[in-house]
Amino acid sequence: MMLPYFENLIQGIEERLATDKSGIVARKRLTLETARLGKRLYSGEERITWSGLVAPYDLLAAMGIVPCFVEFIGGMLASMGSIDPMLEQADQMGYATDCCTYHRAVTGAVHQGLLPEPDFLIATSAVCSGGMAVIEGLARHFDKDLFVIHVPHEKNERAVAYLADQFRALTDFVTEHTGEALDPDRLRMAVDNTNRARAAMIETYRWARQVPSPARSRDLINFGIVMALFLGTEGGAEVAEAYRDEFARKAGENIAGVPGEQLRLLWLQNRIQFKNPLVEMLEQEYQTAVVAEELNDIAWDPIDPEDPYPGFARRALSFSLVGSTAHRAQSIQRLAKDYQVDGAINPCHWGCRQGTGARGLMGEALRGAGVPTLNLEVDCVDPRNFAEGQLRTRLQAFVEMLLDHKAAAGGP
Amino acid sequence: MNQEITKLAGFTCAYTPLPLLAAAGFTPYRILPVGQAPDQAGSILHDNMCPHVKRVLDRALDDDLPGLDALVVINSCDAMRRLADAWPKARPAEPVMLLDLPYSADERAVNFLRQELLALAEKLAAGSGRLPSQEELHQSIATYNRLARLFDRLDARAAAGTLTGGRAGLQRWHQRSVTEPIDKILAELETFAADNDHPDKAAAGAPILLFGNVLAETEAFDLFEEAGARIVAEDLCTGSRQLTVLPENPAEDPYLILARGLLNRPPCARTIHAEPTGDLAEQVMRRAQETGARGVVAHVLKFCDPYLARLPAVHERLRKEGMPLLVLEGDCTMRSLGQQRTRIEAFVEMLQGEES
Ligand code: SF4
Ligand code: SF4
Repeated sequence: MMLPYFENLIQGIEERLATDKSGIVARKRLTLETARLGKRLYSGEERITWSGLVAPYDLLAAMGIVPCFVEFIGGMLASMGSIDPMLEQADQMGYATDCCTYHRAVTGAVHQGLLPEPDFLIATSAVCSGGMAVIEGLARHFDKDLFVIHVPHEKNERAVAYLADQFRALTDFVTEHTGEALDPDRLRMAVDNTNRARAAMIETYRWARQVPSPARSRDLINFGIVMALFLGTEGGAEVAEAYRDEFARKAGENIAGVPGEQLRLLWLQNRIQFKNPLVEMLEQEYQTAVVAEELNDIAWDPIDPEDPYPGFARRALSFSLVGSTAHRAQSIQRLAKDYQVDGAINPCHWGCRQGTGARGLMGEALRGAGVPTLNLEVDCVDPRNFAEGQLRTRLQAFVEMLLDHKAAAGGP
Repeated sequence: MNQEITKLAGFTCAYTPLPLLAAAGFTPYRILPVGQAPDQAGSILHDNMCPHVKRVLDRALDDDLPGLDALVVINSCDAMRRLADAWPKARPAEPVMLLDLPYSADERAVNFLRQELLALAEKLAAGSGRLPSQEELHQSIATYNRLARLFDRLDARAAAGTLTGGRAGLQRWHQRSVTEPIDKILAELETFAADNDHPDKAAAGAPILLFGNVLAETEAFDLFEEAGARIVAEDLCTGSRQLTVLPENPAEDPYLILARGLLNRPPCARTIHAEPTGDLAEQVMRRAQETGARGVVAHVLKFCDPYLARLPAVHERLRKEGMPLLVLEGDCTMRSLGQQRTRIEAFVEMLQGEES
């Protein structure tokens, strides 16, 4: 089911790209790269690993491993409209329905035989406890070795040294499983690609901050989180550069992603992964653009190709969902300011103790920074309980309130 | 510990290094998720959140706690991190000290935890004015070992059904041991342990293994015994997993002993065993077989990802061996457990039926 899906997807996008006349192709390039990753995962011809979210993907790329974080599967199945049977499978296995659907979906999928067997697995304690448990379950299911990475809570030099050391040990672990030592030239090349992607992503975000933003709301959905998987690859760097160039051109020509942009919003943590009309409604009925996403952020420095491990560690520690809520709030407040947003949406994904568990604290931090926030109680990957009417009404009321505020303050 | 202990350090997790807290001049005070404090924590965090953490925060918000000189939170799971984040909202004057806890027990992890423990000792010393000497820490480890060994002996008697007061009585001791000064509790418990055994009514009950996370209420243990079960082994954060005997070696760095000891103690679900993987299922099966349990009861709190995510594997493993499993989802109230009484009774009846 999966391999033909990705092959068809690749073929379809390549055809569309070949005949495109609009020049607005960055999103398609991202989808193409994602489909290629999917094909490699399912081809049975490459070495693959299932991992936690903050694994060093560039290191793995340099070692010839195709990596994928497990939450990606839930998101992908939801976007394909194929998640229901996986969730039902997880229910039957006694996986409590109060837990995160990303994890229930991948657990169901693996028991339905939908996940290719990995060569080994890598658990990362960030970003959540559920993710750790699920990877351990996959390792048990496939009877494969598991490497465990503890991402420390504090961000200090001791934490950097400890995490860098674990990444070095991961290198040995991979070598043990592939029989191939890390080639220093390939590592340098991978780090160069990471730095290229990083620079282009920073530029992309800089353009997206422009008022009006050249980004359509859908352009940057899941961008940062999916790009993480491509770090270290030439393809990843090219996708980021395609975004940068497209946004630069649109900004230069003053083409707004949402024509007549009236309001700008920041989206916290998870996007809703299945097809739904909410964002389109915001754009079309209220000229409201989602210009910023919490996970579309780069708060790490370029990585030193000669000694990349501390840089890999700092990058992992910089992730907004690693560490305290105060650290997360600071990242979000910075984004709110940089993107000049009028408000924020916090989709309180059912079952997420990590993000949703801080709903009250985040709301307070954002209010304190003058950013009105709407908490949407929603499951971002399970379409079965999607209360469209209710969510639409709440969003409408929120946006109307923001518009009233703006009018009262004399804009736009 | 001869010095006068006047300061209280709150804690909430079985991985807390109690000997260090005591050596630094604090009485460890476990904030148990009990009592009648009204539900408020959900508005600071989210309702869909570990009831243990919410209940602890509710108690803080309701001032249903003595004043604490420090709160030591272990970075054991998402919910515990959120508790550390939220504490200042409830008790702004009480310093929160987060101890990061690795997931495995390799030497890298042990060294990291050792450094974390040293950092914690310094933070505690800032509050108490006492950085424990190496000797004091060794001595504290030895004192807690005495307590842990006593509990091991009492646990064996409770399993045999001969302990006065049964499991409920033992649970009361467990609770006192983490809320009262160690010297006091040690003296009382030694006297109690010296007392003769009294065969208990539950001696003939259906033998079960009870495992899970938090089950603090003593009445809960009565409930199992009234239903006709005999808990031959218990593996709970608020019970046998609170204290473990650590190696004693005055020649070795006590922080290293503590770090290694904490990471190698019987693990809770949040700790990963890379080899063999999925160890919780194996661990439960092994324990059930070793202790002669005929059935297993999992008492797991709602919304606890580390346990809930692993239950399907435990289920599968026990089913393969024909070992019956009853899963009870708790919310840190006796009300919810009371509602499960019929299920517990039916489970025990089923075990008794198999026996006869
Ligand atoms: S939504 Fe929350 S619980 Fe689910 S994978 Fe993401 S961080 Fe983990
Ligand atoms: S019960 Fe589970 S969720 Fe709650 S604190 Fe313990 S490990 Fe964390």
